[in-house]
Amino acid sequence: MRFLLRRLGFYLIAFWACITLNFFLPRLMPGDPVSRMFAQVQNQMRPDQIAALRQLFGLTNKPLWQQYLDYIGNIFRGDMGISLSRFPTPVSSVISSEIGWTLLLGATSLIIAVVLGNLLGILAAWRRGKFLDSVFPPLLVFVGSFPYFWLAMAALYLFGIVLGWFPLNHAFTDGVEPSFSFSYVADVANHLVLPALTIVLVSIGGWMLGMRNTMIATTAEDYITMARAKGLRSGRIMFHYAARNAMLPSITSFGMSLGFVVGGALLTETVFAYPGIGYQLLNSVQGLDYPLTQGIFLTITTAVLAANFLVDIIYVRLDPRVRVS
Amino acid sequence: MPKNKRSVTLSIVAASTLIGAMALTGCGGTPTASIGKTTDGILRIPREDTATFTSNFNPFSPTALPMTDQAVFEPLLIVNPMTGKAVPWLGKSWTVDPDGKGLTFTLQSNVKWSDGQPMTAADVVSTFTLAKKIQGGYTYLSNVTAVDPTTVRFEFNKAYSPGLYEIGAQVIVPEHIWSKVSDPAKFTNSDPVGTGPYTKVSHFQSQSYELDKNPNYWQPQKQQINGIEMLAFAGNSGANLAFENGNVDWSDQFIPSIQKSYVDKDPAHRKFWYPTTGGTIQWQLNTTKAPFDDVNVRKALSMAVDRNQVTSLGMSGYTHPADCTGLTDGYASWKDSSIVNSCDWTKLNVDKANKMLDAAGYPRGADGIRTLKSGKPFAFSISVGSSSSDWLSVAQVIAKNMQAIGVQLTVNSPDWSQVVDGYSKGTFDSGIVWTNDATTPYEFYRGEMSQDSVVPVGTSANENYHRFGDPQATNLLHQMVATSDQATQKNIVNELQSRFNATAPVIPLFPSPVWGAYSEQNFTGWPTAADPYATLSARSSTTTLVLTSLKPVK
Repeated sequence: MRFLLRRLGFYLIAFWACITLNFFLPRLMPGDPVSRMFAQVQNQMRPDQIAALRQLFGLTNKPLWQQYLDYIGNIFRGDMGISLSRFPTPVSSVISSEIGWTLLLGATSLIIAVVLGNLLGILAAWRRGKFLDSVFPPLLVFVGSFPYFWLAMAALYLFGIVLGWFPLNHAFTDGVEPSFSFSYVADVANHLVLPALTIVLVSIGGWMLGMRNTMIATTAEDYITMARAKGLRSGRIMFHYAARNAMLPSITSFGMSLGFVVGGALLTETVFAYPGIGYQLLNSVQGLDYPLTQGIFLTITTAVLAANFLVDIIYVRLDPRVRVS
Repeated sequence: MPKNKRSVTLSIVAASTLIGAMALTGCGGTPTASIGKTTDGILRIPREDTATFTSNFNPFSPTALPMTDQAVFEPLLIVNPMTGKAVPWLGKSWTVDPDGKGLTFTLQSNVKWSDGQPMTAADVVSTFTLAKKIQGGYTYLSNVTAVDPTTVRFEFNKAYSPGLYEIGAQVIVPEHIWSKVSDPAKFTNSDPVGTGPYTKVSHFQSQSYELDKNPNYWQPQKQQINGIEMLAFAGNSGANLAFENGNVDWSDQFIPSIQKSYVDKDPAHRKFWYPTTGGTIQWQLNTTKAPFDDVNVRKALSMAVDRNQVTSLGMSGYTHPADCTGLTDGYASWKDSSIVNSCDWTKLNVDKANKMLDAAGYPRGADGIRTLKSGKPFAFSISVGSSSSDWLSVAQVIAKNMQAIGVQLTVNSPDWSQVVDGYSKGTFDSGIVWTNDATTPYEFYRGEMSQDSVVPVGTSANENYHRFGDPQATNLLHQMVATSDQATQKNIVNELQSRFNATAPVIPLFPSPVWGAYSEQNFTGWPTAADPYATLSARSSTTTLVLTSLKPVK
């Protein structure tokens, strides 16, 4: 319990540091949102509209420390303000309209990559030097080291255009009303295949290699020899004795990755025109949309810290050493 | 054994790479005559600059959804940049006061809002009250009154001839809806009532929405298409792919080598048309810095630019070199041919450029680089946003050209935001930049050489970043504003062209093309070079003209 409380205190300080950075970083960038917007539309806006726009957006000349205090206050009230690039939509509704797709895509591909990668790693280490161990790690690392953009484009051309197996873009067929019917869910799943598959392809190699390496170290431990000597079934030794202990580093990375899922997958979203937080974040940074940038960073920060805290709790259950120290 | 295994791995890898390469070169795709054929009569248009849509049909909002000003709401008149002529729209006719201090619009008498209520002069009056309050601008407008239900009178506080086109371009909103809105600036208007041809929002989702027919449209014979569907894409590549694959009918974002990637797949139906009527793209020199305050230096640098190379290499040959009036092809009827024919400083002439720089006192050193009067080498930078790959190659061509006259030019390409910040504060050396673009050349020349648009270095500028003001041109611009007589305006613009030619405030490079491509698979009646009733832009005021001219293919 003392351990968890100490961690909680650490997370609170980390949270404060993050929201402070969130506030100052976008404001250190050159320019302001209105001139940015003006530059983006180039000659579509009249110069005399700029003052009115500045007023409309509520860009005040208050001193920075006062804006900072307002910002902290608003965070604790749960008010993230109004997005400028999507004016007058509140930041919270911009984020909530995108986060579902980001979580769906990110979590699906992460879970598939982790489960499959770890399983392959366990099997490869257990049957060292056999087919699985000598073919998969180099192949997956090779595929994973392709530029993601290229791989995604190639998959899109091959499976989307040439073979026509999967749709080219968007999260579901345009014009279809979302509902809880089987046909809608199937449509969403069909649109999810290519984006998720490409993410899994580039990330699975890392999971497999990591698991394989720790697993090999674990299999050299005395208690494995002991288990073998006792005559336990091979499968039981592999999963309950070796894998369970080899899993700890994987759990840490899984926790970290789970937190970062919330940040979206920018390249996937661009190639497959999939909705999500990643492109929104890029847009808001480019447009100097302070409230939206802050809102998204706040969401990511919270998610990463929460995921880490969750990992800490799981660690306490998995690893008795943590409880003792 | 291990050797064998490796060869298996390698062949798998080789096979998958090959398949990928085949897919990229398009070996598997066979062109068919019916790609993209639909039967629902819905016009599909992609938007490449937004990954998702957020409901906002408020025409006063800077972030209104596409088609708000094109299909839902309509203006009083629409100017076609191809001809320079104004097409009467909600305004049937108009008269401008001889002294230029006011104008009167007569409205179409049969216009109804999409909820069935008639549109009257009162709607126009309240629209301008709202626009002034929310958007600002219209500072010359002192009073707007409804003379009778179909006549609106605009009073100015000074003579201001460009006012006709600014007022004419304002889209009109219904008073009976907007008067009940407590905060019109933040109103998202998700169920809009407008006079436009397609006002009914349906199937609104994060990545697509449909606009269906306005049941009370005032020109029902022009409502041939059943509806418009807008599709969201995060970037050009996704939108281009959907277009090339026949999923959408009309696209106005940039498509590299469009002939090969789009038209050749179905030449019978697929067309593109890139008229060069967009604003002039220019190389601006910061005239607050030496040696750019010297007109001979500006002209010499301009003469060293190989504009043919700029347009062919940088712009894929989609445009042509600009001339010494600086005017784009959209102002063809304003151009003074005698000045155009006598242009010298916008034509490539390296010898003369070298002589001019020698004479102006910038001698060439032993290393071939010229020296400034301050004793430093003649070296500076050209800024351009890194995301604009076409303009970036334009800058690189120019930098190469400058070597011939002993000037060292380095390309500086950070993010656009940083570039514009430098422009705005006046800290840049030089850069590639767009120009003001309005119905008459007034706004263009105001942004190029009016003293009124010059602000000191350090203060944020939104136009005239190069900070050049010419007293004579300023005076001419004041005269132009004060007259609404066409012939007098033409004379003034002639004199402005000659001032531009004499002072070379910036270095004009080329008029920018207006991108646009379409498929005739589902709809016909598109604007073309032979029938230029509008451009193929899907985001300008002329888009309304296209939407009301298209006919579905039976």
